Amino acid sequence: MFNKLFESLYNKVIVSIVVGSSKSTVYIEVCTKNRVVQNVEEVFDTTSLNAAMKEFIELYTAESPYSYISFLDTSIEQGALPTCVKNKIPYYADISASISKCYEDKWTYFAAQEEIYAIEKKYQKLGVDFIFSPFVILANFFKDKTSGTLAMYVLIQDGYVSLSIFNESQLLFAEHLDLHNSVDNEDILIDDIDEDLDLLDEGIDLDGVDAIEEIDSFEDFGDIEDLDGIEETESFLESTDVEEKLNEELSEEELPLHEADGFNEDYQRFLLIQSSINEYYQNSKYESEFVQNVYVADGVGVSQDLKRYLEEEMFLDVYVRQIDLVSWVSDLTKVELGYEV
Amino acid sequence: MKYSYLKPRRKTPLTPELKLILTFFSITLFMLCSTYLFLLFKDYRFASEKQEILQTRYDLNVSIAQMKEQVRSIEVEKLLSEKIYTQNSVLKESIMNLFDLVPERITLSRASLLENGLILYGVTPNKDVYNFMLQAPLRSIFHKTYSSFYPAQNGWYSFVSTNYIQDEMMQTQNTNEEEELEDED
Repeated sequence: MFNKLFESLYNKVIVSIVVGSSKSTVYIEVCTKNRVVQNVEEVFDTTSLNAAMKEFIELYTAESPYSYISFLDTSIEQGALPTCVKNKIPYYADISASISKCYEDKWTYFAAQEEIYAIEKKYQKLGVDFIFSPFVILANFFKDKTSGTLAMYVLIQDGYVSLSIFNESQLLFAEHLDLHNSVDNEDILIDDIDEDLDLLDEGIDLDGVDAIEEIDSFEDFGDIEDLDGIEETESFLESTDVEEKLNEELSEEELPLHEADGFNEDYQRFLLIQSSINEYYQNSKYESEFVQNVYVADGVGVSQDLKRYLEEEMFLDVYVRQIDLVSWVSDLTKVELGYEV
Repeated sequence: MKYSYLKPRRKTPLTPELKLILTFFSITLFMLCSTYLFLLFKDYRFASEKQEILQTRYDLNVSIAQMKEQVRSIEVEKLLSEKIYTQNSVLKESIMNLFDLVPERITLSRASLLENGLILYGVTPNKDVYNFMLQAPLRSIFHKTYSSFYPAQNGWYSFVSTNYIQDEMMQTQNTNEEEELEDED
């Protein structure tokens, strides 16, 4: 009772930390029961807790005894499984050494216990209150979409990609991928480059191509441009997502800024997504259904290339939404603390 | 814990500043309470001491009253003793005088002092010696004097002299003595 009384007297300080491949973003919200009094965001060039970061956080946490430190779990040994039934979980993966939680009694997300302990130990000077899975953020961020027809949802983080496939709120497949430490990814990348090199070595015999026949064959398809237009309109109508298209158009205007420095990473991301979709299609454990729509939650500001790769190479309809990851971690913390977000 | 892998750490409102404030107030409160309790104790002790002093005073008063009573009784006893001593002295003197009255030729064998008289037993060589030398002074002292003689074996006379002072004189004397004692009380 006294604790509740004191709790109402103090402001709550919510510290959200998202660790990327080379930097950490700290977002701090000072809130009362009803509103946010102050918010501040700072980026530190470190992936661990350094003195500057500690000092910055403690500057705010010292204001109130009710301060909460939240993390986005970016450890590689995590994932999500399409069931909450304990007997069925081993069919998909062995999570005996993991901490798992069930999301709305529909699907399970998990993370290696060792990794969670490692985060707690790494930040023990600050203390850790909440650790959230990127799949939870993905599911909440696209809550308006996951209840619809089958689609793939991708959360782009700094150095990581979390991917999931939902059909009517039911998770079918999920994978968390590390952009820099994925051996398979590098192999695929090398293989693809080799293929490209082979093609270059062999050359393309333009003489062997019958231009007229090709044109005829294309004619069989009718007016391709019109067809594309119809398809786009249909998909647009099906998804009924005017907002997505508007966002897409806006992002198209903004994204060229990142194109110069983000090409390689975007391609790597594309390859990771491609390999994951292949895994989804080929692994008999999962209910493989054709993926047409891809919703991308962009937490780092990817270039237009990723969208282009997905659209051109995999013939997917791609919609990109910007996401402020630290803000979402903060919102999830508020949900945990019983706030209405 | 809806989404998080971890449970939040238990939060306590006791920050170091609050702990300092609480410590300060606790010490102040403790000191106030201690002072209050000390004063209560002192008050209680003062009240009990007062009660004890009152009781002692009452006891002393009672003791003083008893002592006064004892003093009074001792004074009465003293007066009585003085009176007895005086009476004894008077008696002694009287006896001395009496024996002085007895001439050398008369030998007393016994003397009985009565409240209002004197009985003397003795031997006299003859009646004349007795009549002139002893009876005469006895008559001057006592109002009534009776003498009786009977011959002894050696030719002397044994005598019994009975002398009385009149009763009215004795009563007057006694009354005067009692009045004197009452006045002294």
